[in-house]
Amino acid sequence: MSGVSRPTVVLGLAAVALSLVTLLGLPTPLQAVAAIAVLVLLPGHALTRLMPVTDLALGAMLVLALGLATLTAVSTAMFYLTVWSWQACVVTMGVITILACLARARQEAAK
Amino acid sequence: MSRPQARHAGGAMTRTLDVVPRTEGRWKAREVWCVVAGLVSLALAVGAASTVAVPVASDLGFVAVLPFPFWVGVLLLNVAFVVALRGDAAGPARRLVMVWLVVVLVLVLFGTAAFVTDVPRGEVAFRHLGIADALSGAQGIDPDIDAYFNWPGFFALLATVLGATGLDPVVVALWAPVLNVGLWLVALGVLTGYLTRDPRRRWLVLWVFCLGSWQDQDYLSPQAFGFFLYLVVIALLLGPLAARAPGFPGFRGVRRADLAAWWRGRVPVESRPGLRVGALVVTLLVVAVICASHQLTPFMVLIAITALTLSGRVWPSRLPLIAVVLLTLWLVYPASAYLIGNPPLADAGLQGATEANVIDRLSGTAGHVLVVQVRIVLTLVLWALAAAGAVRDWRRGRLDLRVVLLAATPLLLFPAQLYGGEMLIRVSLFALPFVAVLACSILLPTHGSTRPSARAAHGSAHPAAHAAHGSAHPAAHVAQDPARPSFRAAGGLALTCFLLAVLTVTGRFGNAQYDVFTDDEIAAVAAVHRLAPPGSSIISAAHPTPWRSEAYLEHRARTIDDMCRSDLSTATCGPLVYDFARHSPGGAVVLLMRSSEASLVLQGAGSARGLDELEEWLSAQSGVELAFSNADARVYRVTP
Repeated sequence: MSGVSRPTVVLGLAAVALSLVTLLGLPTPLQAVAAIAVLVLLPGHALTRLMPVTDLALGAMLVLALGLATLTAVSTAMFYLTVWSWQACVVTMGVITILACLARARQEAAK
Repeated sequence: MSRPQARHAGGAMTRTLDVVPRTEGRWKAREVWCVVAGLVSLALAVGAASTVAVPVASDLGFVAVLPFPFWVGVLLLNVAFVVALRGDAAGPARRLVMVWLVVVLVLVLFGTAAFVTDVPRGEVAFRHLGIADALSGAQGIDPDIDAYFNWPGFFALLATVLGATGLDPVVVALWAPVLNVGLWLVALGVLTGYLTRDPRRRWLVLWVFCLGSWQDQDYLSPQAFGFFLYLVVIALLLGPLAARAPGFPGFRGVRRADLAAWWRGRVPVESRPGLRVGALVVTLLVVAVICASHQLTPFMVLIAITALTLSGRVWPSRLPLIAVVLLTLWLVYPASAYLIGNPPLADAGLQGATEANVIDRLSGTAGHVLVVQVRIVLTLVLWALAAAGAVRDWRRGRLDLRVVLLAATPLLLFPAQLYGGEMLIRVSLFALPFVAVLACSILLPTHGSTRPSARAAHGSAHPAAHAAHGSAHPAAHVAQDPARPSFRAAGGLALTCFLLAVLTVTGRFGNAQYDVFTDDEIAAVAAVHRLAPPGSSIISAAHPTPWRSEAYLEHRARTIDDMCRSDLSTATCGPLVYDFARHSPGGAVVLLMRSSEASLVLQGAGSARGLDELEEWLSAQSGVELAFSNADARVYRVTP
């Protein structure tokens, strides 16, 4: 793991942890926060980090846009494939986040 | 604003910034005053809105019933914003203050209804909740159900979010306008950063955009989601995917080969291929999601991409072609079921569009017509300001063609489809961000340049770097700060903003008499859902009705207004409705509500007396019985 930055590791671990707690269930306000994080914010952030974005505002916009667009694509595809459940979406978005973190880790290790 | 110092890090488009936050310095009294003024404005607006009684009694909507403290709050907020915007020689107030004031404006303008009642306004948000609910309970997507199931992207997203978060769908719908406008402003803030390096102008664009948003398209809908994604695409086209074209040779006496050579001569503004490729991938993903989520927005995206590419200001030359392929594939496959019965451009034409979008809407009670006129006036005022701003920029040689294209091209949609008489509203929405940008050239006349070429000459195309040039170096501005409005200009700006806010509240909440529902009406709708057996029909007097948020696929839903169209008289309409109800398999439930009646009366489709007669006749027919009633609604069960 040498050369891999701490934010990448934290992001990947957060995706695993929050996916699990979202699937297990939390009290309503916490469940909403965890679900939004694991479905939109974490994947959006992980995917945005694959690009050399240095502007904070552009980065924030990309986090939201990528998170929402990816979740829409995943959910729609699952409906068409008749495999949709919100739990499956949580798992898929968690996997996407982890894969993006792995790709980022490879980028960092190569530098 | 913060005080960033641009540190050149190689790229011409994007630079790494060492931000020295202004927060390190002491807060100025002016900034503290602005924050407090924002807080007081919010308290006044929320307090005043929470005293409004529902149902709203006036055909002018909220503007007639909001008590004066609300307007004091709005005035104070606009004054505070202009004071913060004027700032000092170093630029406007710090970013935190400006963000806070924009947040308060969004809450005041777009959260007003949520402070009045805990029931979402209008019908469509309820229906959209029902579609998401139906999707989550269905196996797969049946495109033969209705148009929504041909563009299910947004509803798939909504079903997932509601399922995973466990949030109350009604609460989500209630606060959707605030959330949606927040998303729009994030994208608009980035987009504006690529168009101007003047931080005052950037904040004012956000402000004017909010003040011009009378269209009421920010409710829980594919349109609101699609508009956010549209702004994201435009931001990427103006930013990481932007190109710099050589001097245009002109059309007169120029051969096609010269034009082609000019177009091929453009160079990318962003120097890092990694960011360009990443932005292209994001753009394609977002365009695909837009195609899957909304009928209209993909066409607007295609028009905008094509216009910007042809102008030589977008680097990926095949982007319009790829967008056409994505859109066509979606129309030919997942949306084919809908298109077979509804071919595109079937009702195209300027005359039909004008009748459906303007003439048909200018009917009804005096108050309702006044509200519609206010919407038209507000739109025309903003367009006039934009035109004047464009002329001013052009005379000074700093007109950005991209902004003009993005403001004007939505008009191409107008004659293409009636869109239920709402096309002009959508055109106005898609143009608004860029109309706001142009209007700011008049509202905030400065000597700063907005030309990308001039920006490049300054060595900065990055939004934050703009801030660096625009506000971060006091020494550069103390002697001359041409961007800072004079006291008189600031006063005029505050007054203009306040008047725009009054017009927007009038236009936006002008239908409150019939699109703000009472608890009794919601109780009646719940009773309808209980009383209507699966397979039966539900008949309401008119739109809007807060129905179909559950059991979307179990009932046929019709309105008396739709069934009888031009003649709601008892003699003509009564038998039509009765026959439909009696012949519906499983029977029917007829819902007559105060809001539906108000809708028909306000829009001139019927009279209260005529509707009372119709109800009296209907209730006297065989097989019709009153099953539920309260102060605002009656529910009749019709046995087959």
